[in-house]
Amino acid sequence: MSRLRIPLLALGLCVALAAASSAQGKYPKNVVMLVTHSSPGGGSDVFLRELSPYLARLMGVNLVIDNMQGGSGARAMAAVAKAKPDGGSFYATTPTFIYTSLLSRPAASYKDLEPLVNMFFDPEVLYTAADSRFKTLKDVLDAARQGKGKWGAANPASLERQVMERLKQKAGVTPVIATFEGGGDMLINVLNHTLDMGVGELQEISAQLDARKLRLLGVVGEARLPQFPDVRTVKEQGIDLSVRKFRGLAGPKGTSREVIAAWEAAVPKLLADPKYKALYTKNGLQPGFIPHAEYVKFMSEFGSQTEAFLKESGVIR
Amino acid sequence: MFSTLFELLFTTPIVPAAFGGVAWGILGGALPGISPSITMALLLPFTYGMDPTPALVMLASTYVGAEYGGSIPAILIRTPGTNAAAATVVDGYAMKLQGKAGEALGISLYSGFIGGLFGLIVLVLLTERLSSVALAFTPAAYAALGVLGLSIIASLSRESLVKGLMAGVLGLMISTIGTDPVTGLNRFTFDSPELLSGIPPILVMVGLYAISELFVQSGEPGWEHVPREKARIKFPNPAMWKRLAIPQLIGSVIGTIEGVMPGGGGTVSSFLAYNEARRWSKHKEEFGHGSPEGVAAPEAANNTVACTALIPMLSLGIPSSNSSAVLLGGFLIHGLVPGPLLFVQHSEVINGLYTGLFTANVAMVIVGYLMMTPCLWLVSRPKPFLMAFIYALVASGVYAIENSLFHVGVALGFGVLGYAMRYFKMPFLPMVLGVVLGFMVESNYRRALVLSGGDRMTFLQDRISAGLLIVAVIFLTGSLVRHAMDHRHARS
Repeated sequence: MSRLRIPLLALGLCVALAAASSAQGKYPKNVVMLVTHSSPGGGSDVFLRELSPYLARLMGVNLVIDNMQGGSGARAMAAVAKAKPDGGSFYATTPTFIYTSLLSRPAASYKDLEPLVNMFFDPEVLYTAADSRFKTLKDVLDAARQGKGKWGAANPASLERQVMERLKQKAGVTPVIATFEGGGDMLINVLNHTLDMGVGELQEISAQLDARKLRLLGVVGEARLPQFPDVRTVKEQGIDLSVRKFRGLAGPKGTSREVIAAWEAAVPKLLADPKYKALYTKNGLQPGFIPHAEYVKFMSEFGSQTEAFLKESGVIR
Repeated sequence: MFSTLFELLFTTPIVPAAFGGVAWGILGGALPGISPSITMALLLPFTYGMDPTPALVMLASTYVGAEYGGSIPAILIRTPGTNAAAATVVDGYAMKLQGKAGEALGISLYSGFIGGLFGLIVLVLLTERLSSVALAFTPAAYAALGVLGLSIIASLSRESLVKGLMAGVLGLMISTIGTDPVTGLNRFTFDSPELLSGIPPILVMVGLYAISELFVQSGEPGWEHVPREKARIKFPNPAMWKRLAIPQLIGSVIGTIEGVMPGGGGTVSSFLAYNEARRWSKHKEEFGHGSPEGVAAPEAANNTVACTALIPMLSLGIPSSNSSAVLLGGFLIHGLVPGPLLFVQHSEVINGLYTGLFTANVAMVIVGYLMMTPCLWLVSRPKPFLMAFIYALVASGVYAIENSLFHVGVALGFGVLGYAMRYFKMPFLPMVLGVVLGFMVESNYRRALVLSGGDRMTFLQDRISAGLLIVAVIFLTGSLVRHAMDHRHARS
């Protein structure tokens, strides 16, 4: 009995010491819930689960991922908005939560949450089939100028649709824009040449890119992608358009300064962790830390831009 | 080829899923009133948390198991556990009266195994080549495919075309709830975020098939009490194998044809198989008085159907029977849309399903032998206890999908609707077809028009679309002619 007790005690001490040494910032909670609307194995869920071991070590807390599906994020938003603002629960944000807030009347909208910090951007890219007659974005736009363009966006009310509508406006062309039930659905129509061009997240099309069935036409962001240094941004190609599909966290209103400071300190370290960096680069994520004060502004701008777009296209009044 | 099969069998939980599904299916099939589609609908919500391949293998295996399970009470207490086992009652029960219950059950199990393997081979051969055409499916072709699927409604509603159409339109109406596929406008969502993505077909299926059946069952008296007796399965000897070969072949061929045909299903095929087996038998006089052939033919037929009914569902996304509609629901909750594309995008799921179905047919023989006693015990429980248990199972299963009480409410609502539909003798499958195919037809029709700039000729210019539409027209005219002839017959 006692023989067993000593190693156990030693082990306990070690754990306590390790926890004490890593928790320099004295984060107020031991357990932090990260709530996502995505189902186990879905986009945001995988993102959180891959991130949590690295982040937990940095912050000296236990991270629990809670899947609250349903209502396109409405349930998860309501739960976090109602939670105590003690740094114990956060919602994993993506543009979905803005869209859900604007499209329906959820119990809590994005305005009832406090944006915390941003971590990543999902790069949005324009692409066509590798054996398509279009070689560059200019080819696609020229064809559209003659009134024969067919472009695709994954979902009717989505950031991708917004990209295509804005591109159409800025380039002054009039293609038709068909929408689908998700990226995979649209991808097929790009591959069989029904569509001239599609738009989507890099990770959605990575399998087809690896198989050399697709050609990238441009990056709809501020900078080129490290994996594809030859692919120019849309801006470089003369069209002033750039979107940022964000991935970050938001908490209940009234989250304290200390808590925010702890996250602002931890996230840049997390993004610099070489092992984690290799992992997220492989998944096509771009690091994009935005500190709290800026993130609040970013989110409200993103919200009002999206609202303007939805009103313009007649989706909401 | 063999190494991948080997890998599939031993590195993924396909084998336990197949055995579990078969066991569940035999139990459900053995309970009178609980049909294969209900047994599957009960299991459906619980497959949500599993990986897609084992989840689908489990559901498909349930179908296989239920088709055998139905013959147990048919032989022992003269009450078919499933509709498809009704043809087995005649000679199966007669054999039991002659003290040959064990032989009858053995023949049923063995014939089901043969029929199932036959059906599986046909399934693999017929669906395998689809991946080559999948990429050629444009939005116009998908719209036409959906129209073909909806045209089945005409042949499903043989009793009353009007009622079938009413159920179909009801389904189409439900499919319009949610986000508009082209503009992104919200339709009939009443600002509720829960309705943004529409009503999941799985809730419609669980409500219509399982919950409404429970409502009906709770208003009916319990089934006949089974006397406690020992029925040990006796497998047939080689001499009997020879005699059963012909009726099994008849059953398998008829099962193949009926499985692929919309609205055919296990029940029609087992009666047809019984009749044909009698016509071609050397011992016609034994039929009706305990002929082993009279058990073999229908049981081979309904187990063949359990595989071949998947052909139109997998390859075209059109469920031709209630059970394959529920299996389709299993695909949908994992975000897999059956149809030509499935073979390209998720060939691993298809291969897993084939492997699982083979395992299920083997499992049926083993589990069927072992499950005899628990089945008999279960059937002799008081019915109210069983039904209460099943109610709880359904409610918790639906809740577990998204931890949502809203879903439980929706499913119960469809249960009430289903009860009303049973009362008015409205068929369920047209409604399910409407729910499942409505969105596909609408979104692809409008998408095709967006792409063609509003030119409707696009549906005829696309070769696949034109072909599918022609088949739909032929199909519709055929069913209408048959309806008219049935009417004239009825009058004269």
